Amino acid sequence: MSTSLEEARIIVGGPQGSGLETAAQVLVSAYAKLGYRVYSTREYFSNIKGRHSYINIRVSSKKQPSAPREEPNIIAAIDAETVLTHFVDATKGTIIVYDKATEKTSIDKIPSMENELKQRVQSLLTKYGYPATVEGAIQYASEVLGAEPLPLNYNELLAKLAEKTGISRYLARRYLNSIPISIIALATGLDIEELREGFERRFQGRKAIIENNVELARIVYEYGEKLGIANKFRLKNPENPPAEYFVVSGNDSVAMGKVVGGLRVQTYYPITPAADESFMLEAHEDLDSYKEGFGGIIVFQTEDEIAAISSAIGAALTGARAATATSGPGFDLMVEALGWAGMNEVPVVITYYQRGGPSTGLPTRGGQQDLFSALFSGHGEFPRIILASGDHEEAFYDAIKALNWAERYQLPVIHLLDKFLANSIITMTPPNLERVNIDRGQLLDKGGPNYKRFDKSKGPISPRAVVGADETVSWYTGDEHDEYGHISEDPENRLKMHEARMKKLEIADKEIPVEERAKLYSYGSDFLLVGWGSVKGAALEALEVLAKEGLKGSFLQIRVFEPFPRDYVARILNSYPRNKIIAIEANYTSMAAKVITMNTGFIIDRFVLKWTGRPIYVGELVNAVKNILEGRSRKEVLKYGA
Amino acid sequence: MEPKTKAVQTFDYKTNVWVDWCPGCGDYGILTALQKALSDLQLKPWEVAIVSGIGCSGKTPHFIYANGIHTLHGRAIPFATGIKLANPDLTVIVDGGDGDLLGIGADHFVALGRRNLDITVIIHDNQVYGLTKGQASPTLPSGVKTKALPKPNLQDAVNPIALALASGYTFVARGYAMDVQHLTWLIKEAIKHPGSAVIDVLQPCVTYNDVYTTQWYRQHVYKLEESGNWDPIVRDPSERDEKLAKALIKAREWGERVPIGIFYKDETRPTLEDKIKTRIPSYRSRPPARTAIDVDGKPIITSKDLRTIFSRYLVGVKPRPNNKQNREVNT
Repeated sequence: MSTSLEEARIIVGGPQGSGLETAAQVLVSAYAKLGYRVYSTREYFSNIKGRHSYINIRVSSKKQPSAPREEPNIIAAIDAETVLTHFVDATKGTIIVYDKATEKTSIDKIPSMENELKQRVQSLLTKYGYPATVEGAIQYASEVLGAEPLPLNYNELLAKLAEKTGISRYLARRYLNSIPISIIALATGLDIEELREGFERRFQGRKAIIENNVELARIVYEYGEKLGIANKFRLKNPENPPAEYFVVSGNDSVAMGKVVGGLRVQTYYPITPAADESFMLEAHEDLDSYKEGFGGIIVFQTEDEIAAISSAIGAALTGARAATATSGPGFDLMVEALGWAGMNEVPVVITYYQRGGPSTGLPTRGGQQDLFSALFSGHGEFPRIILASGDHEEAFYDAIKALNWAERYQLPVIHLLDKFLANSIITMTPPNLERVNIDRGQLLDKGGPNYKRFDKSKGPISPRAVVGADETVSWYTGDEHDEYGHISEDPENRLKMHEARMKKLEIADKEIPVEERAKLYSYGSDFLLVGWGSVKGAALEALEVLAKEGLKGSFLQIRVFEPFPRDYVARILNSYPRNKIIAIEANYTSMAAKVITMNTGFIIDRFVLKWTGRPIYVGELVNAVKNILEGRSRKEVLKYGA
Repeated sequence: MEPKTKAVQTFDYKTNVWVDWCPGCGDYGILTALQKALSDLQLKPWEVAIVSGIGCSGKTPHFIYANGIHTLHGRAIPFATGIKLANPDLTVIVDGGDGDLLGIGADHFVALGRRNLDITVIIHDNQVYGLTKGQASPTLPSGVKTKALPKPNLQDAVNPIALALASGYTFVARGYAMDVQHLTWLIKEAIKHPGSAVIDVLQPCVTYNDVYTTQWYRQHVYKLEESGNWDPIVRDPSERDEKLAKALIKAREWGERVPIGIFYKDETRPTLEDKIKTRIPSYRSRPPARTAIDVDGKPIITSKDLRTIFSRYLVGVKPRPNNKQNREVNT
């Protein structure tokens, strides 16, 4: 008899297109329904069908998980490749669910697997004297790592489904992904009705599909119970569950924030991992259909990223809140127009989802390599605000803030996120909008005769009447211009206009509270971790683990890189010995640490870095931090994860 | 809200910004025709947005008393697209050079045609890049050596009329900058046309193009409207292919005789705005630029609204009964 767990960790893998997304949605919503807090992240290739993809799920009865962790309880494989890719992740007691029919499959018979991985697996298994087959991998996992294999006959289970429901064997194969789903549900202690909730949510109203899935679950449960899988990793009941959750990805949560923030035009050119955000917005574009008077959001797919940002700027000129969403390669194309927006003081938001670069790099993987690009791109000097979200909830509120700041300071705002955040799905307590404001800055109903769009007589931020406002005529140009927006190359005019534009950032620096720009999370003052973006999740969990081991440290999260919270960050850094400060980033050059140095003069010289395109896992981070704190190294390069 | 009295008023569309084009430039003709057209149509300056790209033609908006947006090289169309999408009440006119619209901005030019968004595009077509001192533009024929070119042009010319027709523009015309009266008429027709309209305006560049000069055009240009039974109008969708084919043949005419006038006009194809309206019914009555997003600084979307809009993502928690720690199984 097993004891109840506070948390279950699950890996489900299979070929792209085999229903993994569905598996995640079914499981996550079934757990959420019961009040569990869930984190689910997905790794995939730049491929439509066939390449290896997997979902990494953490279900907790206690706290919201926000980073992947090692030591899975269950590895559930739809195909042979999953076993051969993930058997190394097994630890003592990990159950590996796989199809018995794949046992004899040899690694060199799997064309979708990358050669480098094949070679690594082959040499590991050979070293231990096992054949490079699924069976060999399973033997290694059980004999060397202490895993518990659970071979099932997938075909037999599906045949039974066909027999019981009367559907064809061919059709029954479509339910393949429900075998691992059901085993996972069974092992974590969900009963059939609780699992049904997951299917019902996923297949809303499609009765036959729901019933067939439930039927298959019954068949699998029967098998699993005989094999002693039931309740193997049963979860404690959730502590203080809320009344409801939003089950959302990072993309979804930004889209929701934009809707609340009054976005009216979203332009985009398809790119991973940004495009899902625009898709979600488009699905909800007619806000009037929810309540009369809300209006609509134009979600517009343009011919390229240059057009995407140019159109967003055009829309912003008319007073509509406008944004575009993109990733590195797309952002590169947007840079020229970004400068135009800076020059013309246009409130436009660029939601920037970082992935692995340079060039197309790792198109479907993550990274934090675009901070410099966001901060320094574009010729000439112009003000911009850069904010970076650390989790889904921040992403939601930051989307609103970005729209507000853009209008308040009349400049482009770049909202930085990353693939790890964009593609992970979590349970989020519905946001409380009580504390949310809409700040439109100095927006005029009309300019009137002789209106000067860039009137600097009362300060660097000019009252803004939009294109289309009654009795208002304004001019804009990318050239240096006078207060009317007409071209002027006069040195005195240049002095005044350029200074006024740059000064807006100083105003923002004074006005935006430092708490919104940097945040300290503290267990103690033994050491300080410094990071940004989705590093937050892993760092906070690592702190908790380390605190239990007697190392009580803090985490300083940089939230806004421009205007940089200079004094606050300097003060915190200076309160720690240099050898107890560690920057954690998903890049090679530790960009944030360099931006910190640029702004504060403080040099961080200890690093934990990862640039495999995979997220930072809590365990590897804990080890790396210990290695540095105990003087074994100054720089740790992480590489866990398939 | 409609004003109580609707005075018929002609606005002066001139600004007091000095026009710094070379004396004799074709741009003057285009500027005059455009100002005249806006004035004749009795449009209010704040209901008009002139969007330009880069180069000599890019300065046009500064000389017109109407909203003027002087953008990036090649990007006038996407800026204009955003303006028009957000506020379809505006009359949006793109003013760009041949290099701007058919070279660096060619994909945007094509995209506007296939969308049929109600924007008027005026191409300042002088076959050279003036402001960078006379390089060949995409409309300069191969083998032609204008005076700044070190050697004859190697690249073939794009045909703006044919490209516009192929891209789906529903109003395609050619004007001549020095025939201001005719050009004014074309611009008015283009603005009145619902859908994407383009006017390729032949214009001399007195400084760099010594091949296609005022004198050359004077000898070769003729008006389609004065050439017998030319009828470019599609009155029923079934006529499209035939009218397009005729327009394409006409577009190929260049040399001894160069046609100006309307090549093609089709009001039967739905505009992008029409299509958006089928998805967002309030689009025209309350376009994005004119919808409220807040109530006294608070979002109009409340926590409750958020739940309604995104109900698909909402999971109501149904905790297990207290007496049920977990499912019981017989093992």
